[in-house]
Amino acid sequence: MENKGHLTAQDIQIQGVLDNFLKLRSTNNTSTAKTHLDEDSLTAFVEGNLGRRESQPVVSHLVDCSFCRHITAELIKLDYAFAKIDEVRPVKAEAEPTKISEVLSGLLTRIFGSNEEAVFALEEKEEESEKTEKSEETKEK
Amino acid sequence: MSPEAVNNEDLMKECDSVLNEIFARCHENAPNFGVSEDFFKNSLKKTAHKYLLSNSSEVLSLQELTDFFGQIQAEDLFMALACANGNERAWWEFDQQHRSYLERVARHLAKTDIDAQEVIDTVYVELYGTRVVDGERVSKFATYSGRGSLRGWLRTVIWHSLVDLHRASHDEVSLDEMTENVGEGTAHANFAESTSLGGEDEMIEHLAKERYRKATLSAIEKAFSSLDDHEKLLLLYYHVESMKLREIARMVENENSLLRDWFQRKSATREKEPSSRIHESTIMRWLEKSYAKILQFFRNELQSVHNLSEQEIEICMGLATQDLAGNSIYRNLTTT
Repeated sequence: MENKGHLTAQDIQIQGVLDNFLKLRSTNNTSTAKTHLDEDSLTAFVEGNLGRRESQPVVSHLVDCSFCRHITAELIKLDYAFAKIDEVRPVKAEAEPTKISEVLSGLLTRIFGSNEEAVFALEEKEEESEKTEKSEETKEK
Repeated sequence: MSPEAVNNEDLMKECDSVLNEIFARCHENAPNFGVSEDFFKNSLKKTAHKYLLSNSSEVLSLQELTDFFGQIQAEDLFMALACANGNERAWWEFDQQHRSYLERVARHLAKTDIDAQEVIDTVYVELYGTRVVDGERVSKFATYSGRGSLRGWLRTVIWHSLVDLHRASHDEVSLDEMTENVGEGTAHANFAESTSLGGEDEMIEHLAKERYRKATLSAIEKAFSSLDDHEKLLLLYYHVESMKLREIARMVENENSLLRDWFQRKSATREKEPSSRIHESTIMRWLEKSYAKILQFFRNELQSVHNLSEQEIEICMGLATQDLAGNSIYRNLTTT
């Protein structure tokens, strides 16, 4: 825990008392909430997009629900970790759109095992991309 | 229908031109996504109902509603709706723009590459939707409202998927334990205490200490309860979730952030310059203000409710500090 500023001995004492109180309160108070915030609300909160009117129920929920609070804290940490290395991947405008069926058949094959159609679809795709690569190489030469 | 609801419906109609503009802009950017005007506008209205109208009985102003629609991540929502409808072009754009980010998040959060791949696969299947309700495929994209960014939402979806993955392999683990096992969750201390009582003097000393301990615990519980929810949340982030000052500062970077807004209302300087940057030292000052309130309430409580003298209050503070190593004053803490 960081400790900055000009604090008196009493300030430091009360911080210590509070620190332990809050940690234990959180351990004992294991998510009594009947429902949790959905992904949409969690995201809007973490990104600071909720207005005053929308915020109160969310903040109240986060005070009482350690499950949702922990998720928001971890998402903020993740956001901070990623902020410095912002990944920008250029879009290949000339590439052909990938069909949903191709994406999904690949996924389903990986998840559920072999699927003849899915395998063929993947092979076709690989052949096409090999051809594209070769033709691009020829153009470069 | 209540008068407020009628009023809000009227307001929604008045916002129609704003919705038309948003649709026109999105459609111009992505004419091949195949999202109809009605479908898109209804989705925007649903978002307003979810965030503005369902939580409050207060009457909205037209300006509030217009501002709200202006803040919606409309392009992201447009893409999500198109993907939910199964539009090929939208899926391709989505895959190009977001897959590498999804992979990066999953790799960062998951313990192994296999877990990361499994989560990405699961999320893609969920996004496409394999469940069929009333003859219609239900895509996860349909739950995105545009209130936050699509990337942020995807990050949260991945997080939940990882928790589910962990849950599937650990049947007996509670939700809280699971969330602590994903990411940088922290372990809590063991609060067991062994007491051995000797002679009469020791017994008296023990009883006195018990009285002070109970008073200390009760006072700190009440002091914390007296805070506003925003202050409580800030303290919980800092002490329980072990967030660093700079991480909290990042969360309140957005000018519209509710925590920032709340604390700035308490600061005249900040009110004059609402867009000024929030530094770590500012967060520390917010925390210090909360500590000061707690200390004040804590001392008052011990004085007025438990009738303790200044000297006894010092003993309480001393005991609480001594107990920090074993945390024993909290052993009887009840769920609050």
